[in-house]
Amino acid sequence: MSSILDDIRHEVGESPVVVYMKGTPRFPMCGFSAATVEVLNEIGVPFKAIDVLAEGDKRDGVKQYTNWPTIPQLFVGGQFVGGCDIVREMHERGELAALIRAAVDGEASG
Amino acid sequence: MPQVEVAGIRLDVVAIDELRQRLEGAFAGADVAVADTTGEGDHFDVRIRAAVFADKSLVDQHRMVYDALGEFMKDIHALSLRTESTKGESG
Repeated sequence: MSSILDDIRHEVGESPVVVYMKGTPRFPMCGFSAATVEVLNEIGVPFKAIDVLAEGDKRDGVKQYTNWPTIPQLFVGGQFVGGCDIVREMHERGELAALIRAAVDGEASG
Repeated sequence: MPQVEVAGIRLDVVAIDELRQRLEGAFAGADVAVADTTGEGDHFDVRIRAAVFADKSLVDQHRMVYDALGEFMKDIHALSLRTESTKGESG
């Protein structure tokens, strides 16, 4: 189990925006995952999506990594941001785009 | 816990009153609203406004709710959660 946590730690640090979801961005398999992808598409930022239905060990792995009980889970700049409800709420407040832009810009300049 | 039979299999379902009582017990003085969005006891919409959420991040607020729900979480397939602090809204 420790190796899957290492994989996840590495994976969330590799891209500025990473989402663990059920299904794929083009074919989400859960309403909460679909809503999260929709917010990211609205913000218009490229993101890496991991389908926990296709990579089954990551379904429990990411929950253990964050101590968070549900999928989807969004990471920005390697940091856990939250699940679907938090993503939607931060987007309503305009906070998510700012957080993502800062992470993307940091990546570009660093 | 009440049960429902689906395709011959008996499943535990979470009653809306149990959920509300658990949350009101965990967050004293909070405004708690619970809706069963499908009527089948496994999809819920929960809203909680509590003083104890003041100065906590959304992630921490939601974690407090998940912790309070404890063993209920395994029987809930979908939970939509909205938390808010009562701080600064008295005026």
